[in-house]
Amino acid sequence: MTSIDTTAPKLRRRRRSYSHAARVGGAIFISLLFLFPVFWMVLTSFKSQVDIFTTPPKLFFDATWATYIEYFTRADIPDRLLNTVIVATGAGILSIVVGTLSGYALARIRLRGAATFGVLILMSRGVPPIALAVPMFLVARNMGLTDKHITLIFAYCTFLIPYVMWLMRSFFVSLPKELEESAMIDGCSRFGAFFKIIVPISMPGILSTLIFSIILAWEELLFALVLTSRDAVTIPVAIAGIAGDTETGANWAALTAVGTVTVIPVVIFALLVQKWLIQGLADGATKG
Amino acid sequence: MSTLDINNVRKAYGAVQVIHGITLNIQDGEFVALVGPSGCGKSTLLRMIAGLEEVTAGDIAIGDRDVTDLPPKARDIAMVFQNYALYPHMTVRDNMGFALKQRRTPKAEIQERVADAARILGLEDLLGRKPRALSGGQRQRVAMGRAIVRNPNVFLFDEPLSNLDAKLRVQMRSEIKELHQRLRTTTVYVTHDQIEAMTLADRVVVMNGGVIEQEGPPLELYDHPKSVFVAAFIGSPPMNFFEGSIENATVLRLDDGTKLQLPKPDPKGRERITMGVRPEHFELADAGWPATVSVVEATGSETQITARIAGKLIRVLVRGRTDVKAGENIHLTVNPDLIHMFDPAPIPDVALEEDH
Repeated sequence: MTSIDTTAPKLRRRRRSYSHAARVGGAIFISLLFLFPVFWMVLTSFKSQVDIFTTPPKLFFDATWATYIEYFTRADIPDRLLNTVIVATGAGILSIVVGTLSGYALARIRLRGAATFGVLILMSRGVPPIALAVPMFLVARNMGLTDKHITLIFAYCTFLIPYVMWLMRSFFVSLPKELEESAMIDGCSRFGAFFKIIVPISMPGILSTLIFSIILAWEELLFALVLTSRDAVTIPVAIAGIAGDTETGANWAALTAVGTVTVIPVVIFALLVQKWLIQGLADGATKG
Repeated sequence: MSTLDINNVRKAYGAVQVIHGITLNIQDGEFVALVGPSGCGKSTLLRMIAGLEEVTAGDIAIGDRDVTDLPPKARDIAMVFQNYALYPHMTVRDNMGFALKQRRTPKAEIQERVADAARILGLEDLLGRKPRALSGGQRQRVAMGRAIVRNPNVFLFDEPLSNLDAKLRVQMRSEIKELHQRLRTTTVYVTHDQIEAMTLADRVVVMNGGVIEQEGPPLELYDHPKSVFVAAFIGSPPMNFFEGSIENATVLRLDDGTKLQLPKPDPKGRERITMGVRPEHFELADAGWPATVSVVEATGSETQITARIAGKLIRVLVRGRTDVKAGENIHLTVNPDLIHMFDPAPIPDVALEEDH
């Protein structure tokens, strides 16, 4: 009896440690699968042209900053980075303001047809962007708005606002409505309750959605390609330009160097989001 | 503090009417409990008093002021919700002071009033904590603190104790009662728990299907229920019912043919009635209604006997102890003053549920 009693937990513990190891191994494998291209991009960006195409590929080589120095002292790349920052943050902020308010309305205000309206807005996301890009270009040209930051910001809002609205709607639906009711009894208007209670509680959700929106706008290519030509060109367009340079062939070092710099803010943002998402949301509002 | 007058209030959602014209006048300082099964409209009525639901027809006045169309914040009421609805990003102190801050009360006064309320409720040591760091009972107390800090005209409670465990519920019940005796604020308290209603309220309003079934002081509802519904709802364990036809004025003939001798004729002379007897009003005797005991449960202070009369399960509550055993045949009698006779009506589910 005693021997069974003592080995059984040990066995169980060993089995548990096996399954734990298997899970960690699986996680490492999947992470490697995703991280390897990024790793290879960073590696390539430090190679000189001769090291890039060696077979077998070199893991050890004379690293050089030459490509970085060349491209980030060239006039257009820093400008394009700045354009991307302006357009992505502009579109992110505008869509978070509009999307949060409309998401709240959709979650809380009883209005005939509100649900249908919400679904229609969501369905608009199903339209292929290319079908929107051409009419958008024509409208922008007629209004004299091509190649301007504001045009891209509005264009990005067409897909960001539905995205933010639906994310925030499901977030608000998960909050007990008694929070606002209580605030309204305590002396707030509906708007007061929203700004004083709901917005502070939802801050982690709002900030993560904002960052997701900025990332989406940051890497958008199609609209930027169609709607900009010189002044408002963003980094994805510039990268596409390097990749599609037919005269000299794709400059892989340049492509990966600009790509690496472009990815850095996205990685930082993603890490920030992760931190906020981990925080409890409406923790402790109710019975718990 | 103030009176609260509800005058022929109706509520409809589209074509579906859920409150069918309720009139209720509540005195200054009175504690009224709205009780009834879920879906009876008690919470909707409370939310209309609070201004959280629009009133379809009729009007509501707090004191001399018609508040029917005023927003919640203009009604000078405080409400405790079933899930407490504490603001999770604020400390207990800020939660309690929030309403005063909205009213631009001077800081020093807010501090003083929050401190007072915290002392009354024993929350002094928790003022700096966030709601997530509180236990269920503490959260409940903060929700009450948030209400009393306001010193409102009317307190509204929406099933405030139903999220607590049984022991804490009993404790908070007495705290609410003590609080009302101390503050004497007009209170409307919604609950589905008849024991809460009976123990707390000056007046109990039993609601059913959007109308008031009966209202009155708790013991009056217990002694003189007007319908099977109220009789079944008030009292624990619930009343036993027997439906049948009257023969020879004092014999109740049940549907299976069993005849029970009534101790008195039906004062209204009906042909068919539902007779009701509370478990505690049966007496064991040598002669009377024959019954077969199925279960005997003794708790020391009292003994509950489950028995069958003509195949129907009934409950008998005997003070103290008894030597009755399962399987034994017994006889039951009832004092003529304690027997209830109603128009025949289906017995609501509430009577069949065991009370918690």
